Amino acid sequence: MGRILLKMEGIVKRYPGVVALKGVNFELKQGEVHALLGENGAGKSTLMKIVSGTVLPDDGKIYLDNRQVSIDSPRRAQTLGIGTVHQELSLVPSLSIAENIFLGRLPRHKSGLVDWQQIGERAGDILESLGLHGVNPWWPVHRLRIAEQQLVEIARVLTWDPKILVLDEPTSALSDREVRRLFDIIQRLNARGVGIIYVSHRLAEVRQIAHRVTVLRDGRCVTTTRMEQIHDTDLVRLMVGRDVRSRFPQEKPPAKTSQPLLQVEGLTAPSGVKDVHLRVGRGEVVGLFGLIGAGRTELARAIFGLDPIEKGRVFVDGQPVIIRSPHDAIRAGIGFVTEDRRQGLVYPLSVAQNVTLASLRQLSPWGILRKVEEFAVADEFVQRLHVHPPALNRPVRFFSGGNQQKVILAKWLCTGARILILDEPTRGIDVGAKTEVYHIVRQLTSEGKGILLISSDPSEVLGVSDRIAVMYRGRILSEVPAEQATEEILMSHASGLEVPA
Amino acid sequence: MTKVSDAHVSGGQPTSVDGFEIARNPWSWLMRGGPFIALSVLVLYLAFASPRFLGFGNLMNVLRQVAINAILAVGQTVVILSAGIDLSVGAILALSASVGAVAMAYWEWNVWLSMLVALLVGVICGMVNGIVIAKGRIPDFIATIGMMSAARGLALIVTDGLPVPSHLTALTLRAGLPSELIWLGSGVVLGVPVPAIVAALMVVFGWFILRYTSFGRALYAVGGNREAARVSGISVERTKILVYTFSGLMAGIAGLVLTGRLNSANALMAEGAELQSIAAVVIGGTNLFGGEGGVGGTIIGVLIMGVLNNGLNLMNVSAFWQRVIMGAIIVGVVVFDQWRRRRFGD
Repeated sequence: MGRILLKMEGIVKRYPGVVALKGVNFELKQGEVHALLGENGAGKSTLMKIVSGTVLPDDGKIYLDNRQVSIDSPRRAQTLGIGTVHQELSLVPSLSIAENIFLGRLPRHKSGLVDWQQIGERAGDILESLGLHGVNPWWPVHRLRIAEQQLVEIARVLTWDPKILVLDEPTSALSDREVRRLFDIIQRLNARGVGIIYVSHRLAEVRQIAHRVTVLRDGRCVTTTRMEQIHDTDLVRLMVGRDVRSRFPQEKPPAKTSQPLLQVEGLTAPSGVKDVHLRVGRGEVVGLFGLIGAGRTELARAIFGLDPIEKGRVFVDGQPVIIRSPHDAIRAGIGFVTEDRRQGLVYPLSVAQNVTLASLRQLSPWGILRKVEEFAVADEFVQRLHVHPPALNRPVRFFSGGNQQKVILAKWLCTGARILILDEPTRGIDVGAKTEVYHIVRQLTSEGKGILLISSDPSEVLGVSDRIAVMYRGRILSEVPAEQATEEILMSHASGLEVPA
Repeated sequence: MTKVSDAHVSGGQPTSVDGFEIARNPWSWLMRGGPFIALSVLVLYLAFASPRFLGFGNLMNVLRQVAINAILAVGQTVVILSAGIDLSVGAILALSASVGAVAMAYWEWNVWLSMLVALLVGVICGMVNGIVIAKGRIPDFIATIGMMSAARGLALIVTDGLPVPSHLTALTLRAGLPSELIWLGSGVVLGVPVPAIVAALMVVFGWFILRYTSFGRALYAVGGNREAARVSGISVERTKILVYTFSGLMAGIAGLVLTGRLNSANALMAEGAELQSIAAVVIGGTNLFGGEGGVGGTIIGVLIMGVLNNGLNLMNVSAFWQRVIMGAIIVGVVVFDQWRRRRFGD
């Protein structure tokens, strides 16, 4: 492990309203795996975007091989020998694997025509070296499973022969076997002197592969140390390390968990949910914590009838219900605020029309809409949730994120749902709107509704929930009453560590 | 809620806050639109350029000429609002008309029964479109282009490739087409052509469906955001099927009206009508990707195309040049409308 490949000093990045990086130092040596840890929003992604040239820092210096450089575009990063595999796949699904690997840099004959033979051969070699045996480089990428696509993404970067490789959550879609194969590849690259920056949530994997680790928290670098010199519990504490409970409603009414409102038994779904058992009581908030890719959204979609179920049963109020479509779920009294607001709103339609969208049947006997009633009902919920401005006829696309989220909540209250599944309900909305959402949640539970709150923010889960279930790789690994839980416990369970027997 | 912050709620009348009155008043939506401005400019120009243009007879003539496209365009509007496209309306029109005419002229069925059968043919063709798209999960474009060919073929089979009634058969058979049907296409009530009245009824019908039924709302939702519609418990499949069924019904009605006007049906009638109807919808400001627009705009689009046609005829512009001008105007109106929206918002 030799000389320093990359050195970043005092990196600052400001976004409107937030400072994402507040003077971060980071270095990478030849032939090492340097893990970058931190909670969501700690600044990992921003830092890696700076390394890969997609974001320019506002301040700070970057040295490559002791030479100061400016990485002002992804292309520049590429010529400097920096390869990045992003968490989101950036392949063209309809093109072949080989074409994707050489996209933008297709080798040519002297005549200027594309040298397809060379492309095929080189792509085949790379796939072979990544352990993708029996995969034809001329297959379209969409024929591959997500995990294989991720390997193709890695293959593409490897053809640049990078000296520095950034892997951003590379294992989020991979199975255990594929993770092991990826680690083999990483070790081979290390042996060739490539330095690797490994961004991940999964402590257990980081422990296996990384030599050094840097922890970011709130845009600052809290530690950089050799992996064997730090214990997992210390890492988790460093990642979390703050107290933010004051943002949450203090008074928690005692949960009346005697009768489960929603009960899920042995739910297994092809989308990646494995034998999940879950109960949500009347007036109870159950937090569902886990890291990206743990299967929380998949569980919610399966319960709500958006994705097919392989086996398992769902009970509402003790009665078995069969849910094959969202319509069935709505009839059973379930509402679902999706992770992505774009799945919850019809932007050209007005606020009123969005609020009543899931209740059209009740509002239109014989298929004829009762406009006056519709308007009155929408008005009631818009006022109750303080949607601002209370302009019922205005297309919902003109509203802020927080108000859009309230419109979605209003939509489900309008259906009379007694069980609400909230998937990252505060993602991308400002602090004030977040607090409002938390108060609405408390308000709803005091009316006896049951809430399943999915969140990647441990402080949010702790602040709002009565009970917390932690998911890891499609299963619920543990259930903790909120008063016994700490961010450290949640993070370590969600990272696949300290799993209770 | 425990603490209602009154400041939020007392923001005044919702509609006056920002002036969005689309849902309240269809006329304001017509007025706001660039297409309406374009139509006004066109009418003003023609009123000066050709003394005959504003005559009652000529205006009724325009209405008679645009009726078929108006009926088809109502169906097409509904389809496009749901983010689909129906390329088969001309072919379905021809098939329904052919079946209806054959039933009346050759099989000598009761005229009302024949009309019913003709409409049923349109409805079934539309429903097949919808089912193929929804259940077969194929693009709307492909399914309806298939129907476009198949329905024309069936119409050729039904009519044996001849006009119905043909000149030969009209002489030998006692039957021509029944007077009720002729009235539908050529009659006049209080000076207004019957086809225009039928078209107006269909526009009102379409407007009612879009504004006052849960199906109408569902199709805006499916067109505006398919995934959000699904999450909200709306059946995308059912909506799609109904949308195309409606379009098929409109094609069937247009087929009867056109047969009555021509006093004859044939398998190749209304060729290119699908593109005319799409053009009218787009000129009328309906978003080709779905979710935004309505029949109010479409009728303006239909009128722009009809007035232009009529005006160019009055001004003795050659038929060849008419096509060139029509093409330029269609594109020009949409470019103008896009520019107006970017410039002034909407």
